[in-house]
Amino acid sequence: MVGTKDLEAHFEFECKACEDGRCSKADVESILAERKGLKDFYEAFKEHIRECKRMTYGQYMFVIDREVLPEAVLWWHNHPKFKETHMSTAVGTDERPLNGHFAYMPFLNVQVEPFKMDENYWVFLKVYTPADDPSFPSVAAKLPAALWIEREVKDLLGFKPVGHPDPRRLILPEDFPDGVYPLRKDMDYRHSPITEPRTEYRETPEGTTLVPMGPVHAGVEEPAHFRLFVKGEKIVDVDYRGFYSHRGIEKTGEGRLTYNQVLFLAERICGICGYQHSVSYAMAVERLADVEIPDRARYIRTLLLELERIHNHLLWVGIAAHLVGYDTGFMHAWRIREPVMWLVERLTGNRKQYGMNIVGGVRRDLLDYRKEEVLKVVKEIREGTKKFLDIALNTNTFIKRAEGVGILPYKVAKAYSVLGPTARASGRKIDARLDQATKTAMAYHEVDFKVPVYKEGDVLARVLVRMDELFESLWIVEQLIDQMPDGDIFTPIGNLPEYQEALGFTEAHRGEVVHYVMTGEKNKVYRWKVRAPTYNNLPAVPEMLKGYHVADAPIIIASIDPCYSCTERVQFVDVETGKVKVLTEAEFNELSIKYKGVF
Amino acid sequence: MAEAPSHSEKLKSWDRMKVEGFSKKAPVTTPYPFTDIEKPPEFRGIPHINPEKCIGCGACVQACPPDALIMEWDKEHGVKRLTYNAARCIRCARCIEVCPTGAMEPTTRFEIATDNKEDLVEVVEHKLAYCEECGEYLDFTERQIEYVRNILPKEIFDAYALEDRIKLTQEEKMRRTVVKLRELESNVYPAFMLVEKGKEKKGGEE
Repeated sequence: MVGTKDLEAHFEFECKACEDGRCSKADVESILAERKGLKDFYEAFKEHIRECKRMTYGQYMFVIDREVLPEAVLWWHNHPKFKETHMSTAVGTDERPLNGHFAYMPFLNVQVEPFKMDENYWVFLKVYTPADDPSFPSVAAKLPAALWIEREVKDLLGFKPVGHPDPRRLILPEDFPDGVYPLRKDMDYRHSPITEPRTEYRETPEGTTLVPMGPVHAGVEEPAHFRLFVKGEKIVDVDYRGFYSHRGIEKTGEGRLTYNQVLFLAERICGICGYQHSVSYAMAVERLADVEIPDRARYIRTLLLELERIHNHLLWVGIAAHLVGYDTGFMHAWRIREPVMWLVERLTGNRKQYGMNIVGGVRRDLLDYRKEEVLKVVKEIREGTKKFLDIALNTNTFIKRAEGVGILPYKVAKAYSVLGPTARASGRKIDARLDQATKTAMAYHEVDFKVPVYKEGDVLARVLVRMDELFESLWIVEQLIDQMPDGDIFTPIGNLPEYQEALGFTEAHRGEVVHYVMTGEKNKVYRWKVRAPTYNNLPAVPEMLKGYHVADAPIIIASIDPCYSCTERVQFVDVETGKVKVLTEAEFNELSIKYKGVF
Repeated sequence: MAEAPSHSEKLKSWDRMKVEGFSKKAPVTTPYPFTDIEKPPEFRGIPHINPEKCIGCGACVQACPPDALIMEWDKEHGVKRLTYNAARCIRCARCIEVCPTGAMEPTTRFEIATDNKEDLVEVVEHKLAYCEECGEYLDFTERQIEYVRNILPKEIFDAYALEDRIKLTQEEKMRRTVVKLRELESNVYPAFMLVEKGKEKKGGEE
């Protein structure tokens, strides 16, 4: 009998991983030559780089020593040529079952040139820490963009960011015991211990008065607790406590679900930008499986993403009008929005939670009569919105409350890695639709549109950016319907490679959504990290609030279009794990009673 | 009688404005709870199990993300129970996609609020196949066996061998294979014994 080893001796097998650049044996020089800037970084940190590889198209990973982590992140962030480079977020992974180490990995969106998706790339800086000492020097001490994520890995994985300026609890509830880390692999996801609650609010500075705002926000009706320290009417400082709706979907996705099931969970992270999450996740898995999805599927995805953006911007402008006391505008914006909801209901089967995605394509085709419907609605909305803006932007109630309020300077926006329309209103030239290679899952490179950028950085600029974007989106939809190619809508996916990583991303209406996926054995997800845009925008809100009146606080907070449930990753499915799942009705009830107070 | 319109024509002709009758004063709102509302034919409502078509294969259970569909085995009474709980359902319609017989039927129902939780649950019970040889119930249902018989191409499989083995438990199948292998390799058992046993069994089944 011929064994596998004999065969290997006779034939030279082509190493797929080497060809993709995923393998550690791949040629480093050729990988570094692919994009501008990689070589410089390699030269600058040569003695600290352990490994260098390409994860997938336009995504590069460096494994570096933990001592130089802050310098490496800041090298990219403050790169003199790549002006809009920002630290996107980071991900902590418990890799002890694989190699006995914890891994912490910040990643950066490197922008060689704005809006050139084939030149820009992602850089992942991976740091391994020993299992008995999971500490690393804090990046947050020098870069506020890392403030939250380091507190997050401290809560969920027990990492120790040394020198963090604000090491309070961020995500876990007050009554969660210390020393229990939910995202470690040795903790079962059904385990939910409780101790005595212990709050860690910041002390009120001397000479100021505390005005609590929340735990439910006035306009957006979601849980977020702002503590405003005021002097007279003026806001001096702000403390924030949120994550009241954190329920650990990442753990659920890693523990029990198959890769196609996670998709539907991802869509239910948010009630507004659900489809963006679903596309991001699908994109990450498609990158991992290395398949090319059909053109028609890419177009249908793009169409739905843009329709989602249109209705969300109309929703947001309505809320903004409501918060400044212009309720007529609120009613009209929502009236204009409703036909889009009806349209997507007919395109996909639901007003929200479209359920259109599957890894490898979409589930429903776009029939001809639906195309006509889309064009009809687009026309209606363009006329309606023009008329609405004409009136709203000439209304004193609206303008006086929005102009010159909540100014976010460019430098602060960059330091906090603010994303989306909030960043574009402050003069940052970023848009993940064109910045990074979205071409594997979407069709943005095949349509023509502009990205509006304003310099003022106040609430009015944020309104105007969003409204300009809305008209661009309408224009994109028209082009997509016009150019829609024929063909299949789905490609089957084979087995996923084991323990590989990839990133999926889209530009949601609030900024870039990032889904990091690391595959495990047997087509399961080993680590799934979701980062919604509000996660980066919300830490910058205290900076916007300082110096303005208490009455302006709701509109300033709402002007970033916050979505707390995205940020906090809600939606928990409380179910048993195992191969054959059997749960009786009585057990279900028991579980729900048991967890009633907890979740 | 006029010919019934095709499905896509039906979809095409549905018009919200006609169905809901908006007035000029209230162009997007209706007095909803006081009037009936009709969803478009594309709407994904809660699914419904058609017990006549269901074979109890469990494909929907494998696909369901929130575990709204669960499968239970009751080997003592020979019953396999498929339970659908609309309260857990997220209306993704994956079960409808994966069902091999079309037993999961889409509906446009969305008003499922109730004061009795049991209204939301649908249960389909299947009879498990029975292994005469070892007196135990199998893991799969009689309908599954029926379905397999129908879809397997007759020319490829030896129909008699299939009939012989399809209603046996896994252990019994393995035992038989071992016996046959031994017989082939070392002729420990005379060939006629095996043939006779097979014949007996076949007679018993009929």
